[in-house]
Amino acid sequence: MKATQCFYQDGEHKWVAIVRDPARPDCLIDTNEYLVSYNGSGLLLDPGGAEIFPAVFSALSAEFDPAALTGLFASHQDPDIISSLALWLEFNPKLPCYVSWLWASFIPHFGGSAETFVAIPDEGMEINLNGLNLQAIPAHYLHASGNFHLYDAKAKVLFSGDVGAALLPAKSDNLFVENFDAHIRHAEAFHRRWMGSNEAKRAWCERVSRLNIDMLCPQHGAIYQGADVERFINWFDGLRVGVAVG
Amino acid sequence: MTQNPSIGISQSRASTAGQDLVRIVRINEEIKSIVAVAFKINIMALNAIFLAKRAGTTALGFGVLSNELRVFSQDLKSAMGGLSGVIHEAVTEVSVVLKDQRLISLLNRAQEESGGNARVAAALELRQKQMVEHQSQLRAHRRQLKMVMENVAQLVELGGVLAKSAKIEAAYGQGFSNALGQVSGEFDGVVEDIRHSLVNLNKSEFFLQR
Ligand SMILES: [Fe+2]
Ligand SMILES: [Fe+2]
Repeated sequence: MKATQCFYQDGEHKWVAIVRDPARPDCLIDTNEYLVSYNGSGLLLDPGGAEIFPAVFSALSAEFDPAALTGLFASHQDPDIISSLALWLEFNPKLPCYVSWLWASFIPHFGGSAETFVAIPDEGMEINLNGLNLQAIPAHYLHASGNFHLYDAKAKVLFSGDVGAALLPAKSDNLFVENFDAHIRHAEAFHRRWMGSNEAKRAWCERVSRLNIDMLCPQHGAIYQGADVERFINWFDGLRVGVAVG
Repeated sequence: MTQNPSIGISQSRASTAGQDLVRIVRINEEIKSIVAVAFKINIMALNAIFLAKRAGTTALGFGVLSNELRVFSQDLKSAMGGLSGVIHEAVTEVSVVLKDQRLISLLNRAQEESGGNARVAAALELRQKQMVEHQSQLRAHRRQLKMVMENVAQLVELGGVLAKSAKIEAAYGQGFSNALGQVSGEFDGVVEDIRHSLVNLNKSEFFLQR
């Protein structure tokens, strides 16, 4: 089973990370799922692949009533992001899934019907979680051609999907980045290869530098906090991406 | 958490769905080979009709039979075409059952690991019901397939009779009796091939289930 760690709390407003599954087969990439909860309602961010649904579901249940989930948010269309959709819909057929309009007709291959999807336009949109305003921030081509991050201005948390992802050695299980320079080595090859556009990366770095961010939470690896957030944005800004040898 | 015994039963039943898919693929290959033979009979019958024409009045009966064999090959082809339609539906249904099975197994694991959740239990129950429904549809397809195959078997019996009669007629072909005999022997051989394929089809474990 996965572990849950609440890393932000202000009364009924919480951010919970669902991380590290010791029972996960090595062939599956390790993923972080995040729950934002506000006044008893929850939004699950990048709910994960079908194979890890049991682990995510049970970890979530320990922290939060899954029946109180009011939606799913998928940063993009990858299998490690949203192939569990059919199972979440078995649990609650009415659960909406927020996703880029670009993928709204692709993801139904994993499950769901036309009513399931709330298509996010390219410029992004506001998502209201029981009174909490969340913002879908465009991150197109980082790495998917239709891609969104989710910003919580009140908690100053940015969920950044695959941006900031690090493929860490099996033994490292810190929730937060401890040593930026050591950590970023595990992120470099991933960003060079997966992130497709230097132009899009530039635009994203400018866009998120204008946001007030305490914690930047990627879908793989550890969370950047405090000064490491800016460090990461500067590092990413200087990295040449879209590189594949072959 | 207490395990729902019905879940265990359905799971073991559903696990045959994957094997069913393999069996259906084999059945489909066998059907394709019969269609190929039907095509061959059609060509052979055409040639036999020309041969009978050349042999003239001595091969009138042989000509009639060759014509009948041609009709037979066309009937066989369309009967096999009907089978392909049923096969397609059976594949769809098996795939649906496989999906049910996967969802049930993952929901079961979620249920076990989380210590039980009423809504997951309800979802499981619903999915179980749907799977039972899909399995019964699959059984209906299986029966339909079996019925079409019985019709094909009767048709092939008729083909066998035609080929045997052609053999007898060939004996009256005088100067052409050797050539006619060879052709009728070939007819007999290919009808035998089909009969053999049908026996194989009937042996498929796909039909052994109820
Ligand atoms: Fe991805
Ligand atoms: Fe990913």
